[in-house]
Amino acid sequence: MNPEASYPSGLPQTLRAPAMTVGTVTPGSLDDQVLRFPAQAPPRKWYLALAFTSLVACIGMGFIGYTFYTGIGAWGNNSPVFWAFDIINFVFWVGIGHAGTLISAILFVFRKRWRNAIARFAEAMTIFAVMCAGLFPLIHVGRPWLAFWLAPYPNQRGLWTNFRSPLLWDVFAVSTYFSVSLMFWYLGLLPDLASLRDRTAPGIRKTLYTILSLGWRGAASHWQHYEKAYLLLAGLATGLVLSVHSVVSFDFATSIVPGWHMTIFPPYFVVGAIFAGFAMVVMVLIVVRESMDLQNLITDFHLEVMNKVILGMSCLMGYAYVVEAFTAWYSMNPILHHTFLNYISGTYGWAGWLTMGCNVAIPQLLWFRHCRRSYFWMILVALGVTVGMWFERFVIIVVSLHQDYLPSAWHNYRPTLVDYGILLGSFGIFFSLVLLFARVLPVIATTELKAILPGAQPGHGAHHE
Amino acid sequence: MSETFAVLGLFDSADALMEAIPKVRAKALGRVEAYTPYPVHGLDEALGLRRSPLGGMVLVMGVLGVLTALLFQWWMSAVDYPLVTGGKDPSSWQAFVPIMFEIMVLFATFTAGLGMLLLLNRLPHWGHPVLQSQAIRGITRDRFALAVEADGAFDPASARSALADAGALEIEVLPVPAAGPMFTASFIQRSLAGIAAACVVSGSLLYWAIKLMPVLPPMVHMENQPKLDPQESSTFFKDGHGMQLPVAGTVARGFLPFAMTTPEQSAGLVNPLPRTPAVLARGRAQYQVHCAVCHGVLGDGVPTLTAAYGAKPANLHTPAIRAYSDGTLYGTIVLGKNAMPSYAADMAVDDRWAVVHYVRALQRALNAKDEDVR
Repeated sequence: MNPEASYPSGLPQTLRAPAMTVGTVTPGSLDDQVLRFPAQAPPRKWYLALAFTSLVACIGMGFIGYTFYTGIGAWGNNSPVFWAFDIINFVFWVGIGHAGTLISAILFVFRKRWRNAIARFAEAMTIFAVMCAGLFPLIHVGRPWLAFWLAPYPNQRGLWTNFRSPLLWDVFAVSTYFSVSLMFWYLGLLPDLASLRDRTAPGIRKTLYTILSLGWRGAASHWQHYEKAYLLLAGLATGLVLSVHSVVSFDFATSIVPGWHMTIFPPYFVVGAIFAGFAMVVMVLIVVRESMDLQNLITDFHLEVMNKVILGMSCLMGYAYVVEAFTAWYSMNPILHHTFLNYISGTYGWAGWLTMGCNVAIPQLLWFRHCRRSYFWMILVALGVTVGMWFERFVIIVVSLHQDYLPSAWHNYRPTLVDYGILLGSFGIFFSLVLLFARVLPVIATTELKAILPGAQPGHGAHHE
Repeated sequence: MSETFAVLGLFDSADALMEAIPKVRAKALGRVEAYTPYPVHGLDEALGLRRSPLGGMVLVMGVLGVLTALLFQWWMSAVDYPLVTGGKDPSSWQAFVPIMFEIMVLFATFTAGLGMLLLLNRLPHWGHPVLQSQAIRGITRDRFALAVEADGAFDPASARSALADAGALEIEVLPVPAAGPMFTASFIQRSLAGIAAACVVSGSLLYWAIKLMPVLPPMVHMENQPKLDPQESSTFFKDGHGMQLPVAGTVARGFLPFAMTTPEQSAGLVNPLPRTPAVLARGRAQYQVHCAVCHGVLGDGVPTLTAAYGAKPANLHTPAIRAYSDGTLYGTIVLGKNAMPSYAADMAVDDRWAVVHYVRALQRALNAKDEDVR
């Protein structure tokens, strides 16, 4: 759709539909700009970055191997804090993934065209984040080679899984989420893979693209089903993205631990997930945009819109904190009062203040247009949100658990080196995958972007019939 | 020149393509198909394509997913292994809803994705003539192609002129790809070699997965524990043995030292426990754990478990055994008799004496006198 043609020319600049690209972008130039990366040898700084992140990933793997060998006694978890870094990291990473699905599914359903340039990367981040997330419940079961017991399959023990357990719902929710995200991502990639296939010289790379693109040839009769499938998947993923973190929150909300037993948890978790995910997407996109010279496709407008989403989510988070505290106060339950006072005072009081500072206070900077467009402030806010959201889960999980109903069972939690190592390693795995993706597959959904370039669709030109 | 599959005309904009479609279709030369780098709005109407049936397919499969999940969960947790959690009826369906939702999404997603690719679009299809054309490099980039496909009496020349009249910039004639015979000797040889290689690889992987992996560390199911088992050596004790005698001068709880080696030495012992209901209950419990397996619940030598080695457990109601003193019964438990092993290691002293009381009660009950009833 051509925004210049859809509006009367006299409309002031602020009321016009924003340009999705800067400068002249044609379908051909778009391909040449985005699809050249898989064919090029990566620059030296890419190798350096990959060496660093994979080293970090290897350190994490080492600590995971150590955990497998010795058992999870190597972690700081102990009665009554049986869930700690492992579950915090799980919730954190699943949350990071939510931004990708939100951008690719919900914004697609709402026809927000600014999603097109960033959807591919955000979806890839979803998949990598869910992979990192899935790691943690697996290693938390202690003997991960028996993790298939989580699946309801007929077995010689004559037992079935407990379908009333939110933990089992979680298994289904996260594995469904991963499958659907993968399917969504692959369908989006398919036409781009065909473009890559046809511009690559014969060789192993072309063979690979040929196989992966399934012989896509852009036939009109195919596009028709393809668009329908994409719309249906977006609709399904919209429901799914709202359900996944809701189900994750059920792990907590259906228990009776003070501070967990809250009806606000499902929406509160979903908002938090989108919040953290957008912050991560902004950080990674800035790096991608600068290092791959994509300023004309991922524009200041894109970053500004994402920052507005972060700001909105931050306000919702603040609202959720207030409502949660109000619920606790209004319950007249002294134990709940104690737990909520514990969030901001007591041994881990600093974590509560850090959470609120990073998630509610710092993002308020984004009210200023200058901050929404300045890398320094954007990265500051995004880093703050990432830290804040990690500590929010720390507060919810560890602080609630370490002092509950029975004062004789109270015990402080202290993570071990292994805990820190695995957390660090998950970041290494995530960023290694992101780096590999950036050089192997198209980082921008070229096909989708071509369809919204000015003049791409018929009927807006001079010879409209 | 082989038979023609289609004639392809190239355009450089979506507008030009849309203008050309009605002109080419009006000639009615054959099926008209368009190839575009991205979905173009209104193309399906212009080409007169049927509406995609995918929505209906997804709806049906989504409903099927919901029902499948409901049925499976209900059967597993209410029929096959009824599980009461939180005092709820095992068949209450509310808790099944989250998984029903997830399975619905899963079914619907795979129907939408794979149904679109495999069923409706007939992909993967790597051998399509358009993929072999010169035009495909433009089609997946920024060109728009209109193809008139050959059917029946097809004249490539008239298709060519129709496309040229409609404004095609370039025109390409696509031949039907030559199909060689499929089952050549080398194809069969390579297939067999491939199957054999796949068998060897998957067989060794399976062997590794089933036989070796479960016993490799750390997957040893808590076999390694920081404790000493019997017969294990120890670096802690000076003599290197894991099993040690009690420290000199100490007595383990419940085990009074009594150097009894023959039944005669035990005959004179007196049962130190009072004959109270509590003691009898304790004796009954111990009897059922340790004795009833061979001597039977009534003590009549009819075993609850047939002794595989063919020994015949004693009937405790024979006159000879009824005439035993309490001490002799106790001695039999401690020392064993014939095929019966010693139970000294399994039963504490008080448990043995309680069993003696219980055996006496059994003997009395099965050989009751008239005054017992009175």
